[in-house]
Amino acid sequence: MRSILIFLTSAVLSAGVIANAVIQKKQFYPSVVYISKSNPSMAVIYFQSLILVLMLGKLMRKIFLGTLRAAEFEHLMERFWYALTETCLAFTVFRDDFNPKFIALFTVLLFLKSFHWLAEDRVDYMERSPVIGWVFHIRVAGLLSVLGFLDYLLIMYAYQSTIAKGPTVQLVFGFEYAILITMVANTTIKYVLHASELRSDTPWENKAVFLLYTELVIGLIRVILYIVFVFLMVKIYTLPLFAFRPMYYTIRNFKKALNDVILSRRAIHNMNTLYPDATAEELALSDNICIICREDMVSSSKKLPCGHIFHTLCLRSWFQRQQTCPTCRLNILRTPITATQPQAQPAANNNANQNVRPNEAPPVPQQNPFLNLLNDNRLGNQVPNPSSSSSVSSATTTTTSTHPGAPFGAPIPPPPFFFPSMPFMAPYTIPPPPMPQNLEQLTEEELRAIEGNERRHVEERIKLLRNVQTMLNASAALMNQYQMVVANLPPPPISLPLQQQQPQQSSSSSSVAAETAEQQSTKVENVSLTKENDNKNEVKLEDVGSEDETINKPSTSRSSEPTSSKTATTLDSPSTTSTFIANESSTINGETNEANEIRKRRLQKFLQSD
Amino acid sequence: MAGQALRRLMAEYKQLSINPPEGILAGPVSEENFFEWEALISGPADTVFEGGLFPAKLVFPSDYPLNPPKMSFLCEMFHPNIFPDGRVCISILHSPGDDPLGYESSSERWSPVQSVEKILLSVVSMLAEPNDESPANVDASKMWRENREEFNKTAQRIVRKTLGL
Ligand SMILES: [Zn+2]
Ligand SMILES: [Zn+2]
Repeated sequence: MRSILIFLTSAVLSAGVIANAVIQKKQFYPSVVYISKSNPSMAVIYFQSLILVLMLGKLMRKIFLGTLRAAEFEHLMERFWYALTETCLAFTVFRDDFNPKFIALFTVLLFLKSFHWLAEDRVDYMERSPVIGWVFHIRVAGLLSVLGFLDYLLIMYAYQSTIAKGPTVQLVFGFEYAILITMVANTTIKYVLHASELRSDTPWENKAVFLLYTELVIGLIRVILYIVFVFLMVKIYTLPLFAFRPMYYTIRNFKKALNDVILSRRAIHNMNTLYPDATAEELALSDNICIICREDMVSSSKKLPCGHIFHTLCLRSWFQRQQTCPTCRLNILRTPITATQPQAQPAANNNANQNVRPNEAPPVPQQNPFLNLLNDNRLGNQVPNPSSSSSVSSATTTTTSTHPGAPFGAPIPPPPFFFPSMPFMAPYTIPPPPMPQNLEQLTEEELRAIEGNERRHVEERIKLLRNVQTMLNASAALMNQYQMVVANLPPPPISLPLQQQQPQQSSSSSSVAAETAEQQSTKVENVSLTKENDNKNEVKLEDVGSEDETINKPSTSRSSEPTSSKTATTLDSPSTTSTFIANESSTINGETNEANEIRKRRLQKFLQSD
Repeated sequence: MAGQALRRLMAEYKQLSINPPEGILAGPVSEENFFEWEALISGPADTVFEGGLFPAKLVFPSDYPLNPPKMSFLCEMFHPNIFPDGRVCISILHSPGDDPLGYESSSERWSPVQSVEKILLSVVSMLAEPNDESPANVDASKMWRENREEFNKTAQRIVRKTLGL
């Protein structure tokens, strides 16, 4: 109603202005001159043409777009006001050319720009709506071809005018339409991609990749256009301030597109090389629903180190944003594959380690969190030149991820060694990792290796810290195991007399407590374990002990003592539990009675000297 | 076939309409655009917001569920975790990469495992138990901490308002 009123008013006004001119001048040309010389008449004529442009815009919108959605309209208005201010800035550069034709050209530019934006929004909307009919396709295709054709015509016009008359304001127009035609190209490609996805019955694998590369190429073309334009403008006129805001956004978008492509490539690479395809069995074991898209996993799917399975494509698009498992947020980039499939591939794990040191790490039937810790630790320590950082870093990072039952809380069922029927045997097969070196015992050279600011020094320091971290993780894992074992056990058989004697004498040193505990535990063990088990443990012990090139048993047990004592002290729990824990960890060594006797004697000596 | 985001939103809508959580209604504003939802949340029982019916709007990004939706209440709200303009500020709605407030562990933030239902349930529990560690509305947070009586009164006023009383 209001728009009709405005339209009528402007029509009456312009009719009045023209009639007035014709009556005064009688002829056509004098009338035109009269109107253009009179400011009030010109104002009325401008107003009239503005109304006409708006009406044309409404008509085109009705034909090509139908009703605008609220979001589309808001978006259009926002961009329109920016463009208008930039146009006003451009006026200041070309104020010498300021005439009605100039204003008309800018109006046409703004008008066409608006429809480019609307076309872009409309094509983006295709992804959002489940109801896309043939009218939609006809409209979008029609709009895009009309816009592309007009852009082309106007670029040609600007080009010819620049060739004929030298650089004028047509330079700006030519450039603006060139940018707009890249927009048409981009929108058309997107439209084709969306439309073909809508037509196919299966999800289209590479659409996302195509879109990324389209963005990249179009972004590059735009950046080049802007650079050339600014260069020309600076040479011929002055700094084109009005082009700076869009140029900034163009460069930013290009940077983002480039970044996306890089991330996408990395994600695809990781997907193809690092993670195995989920087998049919694994799919059957899981609930077979991809948590990302909530659809069945019939097509290709991948299994992450943490055991979670997703569609390859869903995972790929997620990895472009985050390098974590969507379910448990395990950082997959920091997690190597071999060590992190505790149940699935123990054999592969062992093989890998055997390749490194064929004489050590015999295949251990049970998968123990220590095994990974220990193996990794060895690997890390063995690498003579830490510059091969991949294996070193993998060694540390597994420590955080390989014991899923630990406080990190990955939802993986407890490994098989928690069978309540044989709680004592379980953790004994592998001793805890070696203690980090004591700083006082380091040689001059080793100390110097840690000092300094060069890469090698930093690496040494990191190595040391890494050992400490391994220790901490090991004790956490130990603790966890003990708690589970304790929970599953009848009251433990602790020989009280021994325990009560020693703490009184000892100067509250927990390592002493641990050592005494060890003695008790061997007794317990002798009762509870068969001879066979003892022997088995002995064999293991030797294998592990050889790592330190010290095969004799007492010293091996020495190296493990600090761990047990540490566990006991850090826990600070009631004495029975802690003794019990010390018990357990010390029995890892599976000492025979003889070795125990030696140690007992040593301990007594120690106590006496104290 | 429709795009991934749209298919997932349709699946979630279906799930929500088959098995709606108690006290929550949610669905797309129109059948033509699944990326804008409206939700109606009833105030949790035994809290100051009990009995209220709070309309809210969810706007989904085109790469949902890789990024979280934005949620804002359409009625007046007075709550430590709701901005005065209605935007809801809880960790589940923050994309895992950015941490505007700097003290959320990433485990609380958005991941594709989350869903509209989980968001709405989190909002209900947020209504029941405000988290004044990261206040979006400082006044509300301060009042909630220091003058609970006044806060309860304000909440009651808002509840009556949403019911049109
Ligand atoms: Zn999926
Ligand atoms: Zn996981």
